[in-house]
Amino acid sequence: MSSTSHSQSPPPPNSQNEEECIYEPDTNSYLIMSMLGQCCGDVGKVYLAFHVPSKTPIALKQFNVDKIKDEMENIQNEIILTRQLRHPNVVMVSASFVLQSYVTVISPLMAFGSCRDLLNRHFTEGLPELAISYILKDILQALDYIHRKGYVHRAVRASHILVNANGEAVLSGLRYACRLVKNGRWQRSVHSFPTTSARNLNWLSPELLEQNLQGYNEKSDMYSLGVTACELANGVAPFQDHPPTLMLTEKVRGYAPVLLDCTTCPQFADTGQQNSNQTQAQADSGVGDSVGSNGNSLEGNSLTTRRFTDHFHRFAELCLQRDPENRPSASQLLGHSFFKLPRRMNAPPLPQLLHPVIPLTKEVLGLQNYEEFQVMDRFGEMDLNSCEWDF
Amino acid sequence: MPLFGKSQKSPAEVVKALKEAVSALERGDKKAEKAQEDVSKNLLLMKNMLYGTSDAEPQTDIMVAQLAQELYNSNLLLLLIQNLNRIDFEGKKDVAQVFNNILRRQIGTRSPTVEYICTKPEILFTLMRGYEQQEIALNCGTMLRECARYEALAKIMLYSDDFFNFFRYVEVSTFDIASDAFSTFKELLTRHKLLCAEFLELNYDKVFSHYQRLLNSENYVTRRQSLKLLGELLLDRHNFTVMTRYISNPDNLKLMMNMLKEKSRNIQFEAFHVFKVFVANPNKPKPILEILLRNQDKLVEFLTRFHTDRSEDEQFNDEKAYLIKQIKELKPLPDH
Repeated sequence: MSSTSHSQSPPPPNSQNEEECIYEPDTNSYLIMSMLGQCCGDVGKVYLAFHVPSKTPIALKQFNVDKIKDEMENIQNEIILTRQLRHPNVVMVSASFVLQSYVTVISPLMAFGSCRDLLNRHFTEGLPELAISYILKDILQALDYIHRKGYVHRAVRASHILVNANGEAVLSGLRYACRLVKNGRWQRSVHSFPTTSARNLNWLSPELLEQNLQGYNEKSDMYSLGVTACELANGVAPFQDHPPTLMLTEKVRGYAPVLLDCTTCPQFADTGQQNSNQTQAQADSGVGDSVGSNGNSLEGNSLTTRRFTDHFHRFAELCLQRDPENRPSASQLLGHSFFKLPRRMNAPPLPQLLHPVIPLTKEVLGLQNYEEFQVMDRFGEMDLNSCEWDF
Repeated sequence: MPLFGKSQKSPAEVVKALKEAVSALERGDKKAEKAQEDVSKNLLLMKNMLYGTSDAEPQTDIMVAQLAQELYNSNLLLLLIQNLNRIDFEGKKDVAQVFNNILRRQIGTRSPTVEYICTKPEILFTLMRGYEQQEIALNCGTMLRECARYEALAKIMLYSDDFFNFFRYVEVSTFDIASDAFSTFKELLTRHKLLCAEFLELNYDKVFSHYQRLLNSENYVTRRQSLKLLGELLLDRHNFTVMTRYISNPDNLKLMMNMLKEKSRNIQFEAFHVFKVFVANPNKPKPILEILLRNQDKLVEFLTRFHTDRSEDEQFNDEKAYLIKQIKELKPLPDH
């Protein structure tokens, strides 16, 4: 583990400090260039920004905490937790400070955005299998670390997986995490239901959703990883068109989503012969309707012609076991044959596999002449109340 | 003797090895790298004894008792905390986990670690000063809040000179550290009601002159959080004496009236909950009454228009209606 410190204090003299940088809580140090996305409803906004003193592009996230009441604690907890985790595949907070009523968080820029962005913008029918192998390996490393530190992540999904310019995947979304270490003890299971996670329900494990006495533990994240594997492969998140009750019923009964390819969705080919695979009987992709309706009548549809390796199918099945006891742990899964594919097939690095998507790097942004950039949004001033008291 | 794996170190051996390694780290001689490694290794051993791992249960009570006894005798807890900044990133968290586990140890109704720390208050002072250092602030925070659960330890912290540094810590520019310090600060001022009330009464002037600074802070989050906490403190019946004193001071009323019309709606709302106490006071001192009378019409109009969109918040609307009625009915004191 490297000892590089990304706090505001000066780096220790012997640290490697490639990207070591001091981010000060000063409005004038940052130029906001464009909005990259939103989070937490409309409370949080993520911007592509430019740190003027160091001339580096960064991600600047702002929470307008004057818009919220009680959730402020969630934001505080997320930042504090993130500051106490340090792993190359876990999102990092380089600095956090308050500017007016905005809690501002500075993080390294993730040049490829989230995997959800990649799926939405270019890979609508899913990412290439080798790209998924790279990405999920990184995320498993993140989960292994988080689990060993005694947390359950509870929100593994494509939108919480970010990819940087080097093609390293990073796990974010830590505000949903919960501790397994409580009252000075390592709990075998926890029962708390994440209150703010309505949007994450489709990815959550059956045992978490059931909310029964057995509770759940870090194995719940492995199920979510399986759902995410399907999401990355299929382009669409499983259960997307399901009402929550149906989604819950299916998960509890043990119907698991699958990777869509010629072995799992022969009905799209509509030829009705050979591939009537045994798995099909119970396999429910959860996206049948939506895919069927826009995959216009199917001949040549890549979903029915492509074929994922057995390694990948097996990996997803392992993650999606109904009984958490049967799911391997993150560290066990890291040895899975699915992750040996890139080397065996001599695959190029991830950025090339994501071609033609271009990462937001300094060069692409043309930041050599950053002065030309217009400031799109300075931290706005608000008007004052005019009423005067008489003391 | 275990059949597989290395034979296990006894608690005494782990404590001894860890103490030697931390001392070496403190001396900072050329073996520092080796020392760092030994610190991490032994901390992990100790943590696993207390918490167990994914495939091993925690150690038996006897082993834990031995470990605790060795920790007290060797003074290792203080040594670890004093050298926390020298321990690597993950090791710092292991120290906090070991500390928090040992702290919770109970024998019947006794808490031996709490008793031990009472005799070594330096542990608490060192932890409090941990907020001065970015790299260890959050680790110290988790340990401090665990300590604050025990009245005896909270008392030592409240009555120490270091306590007043919290007014500075909660306002530092790094948001995560300021937030963490604030939750420790709040815990100390609210957890043990009688202790807190007595502390606030005895130190009223000092506490509230410091508190004034927080309410006027440039930092939005500090201002909002401290205002909210002020409301909670004043409305807690244990703090009746403190509340009476607070609402007799016209400067406090002026501050709240100004905060009522701050641009931030959340701050306006929190200020309302302090302002209402001034108005509801049946025995308003003359200066308070005079300010309210001088602004009688303005206040009625202001409050009528104040947060009218909170129609679903019944309690708020009842309170607002009550305040408007009270202010309308205000009469000057008869001249004697």
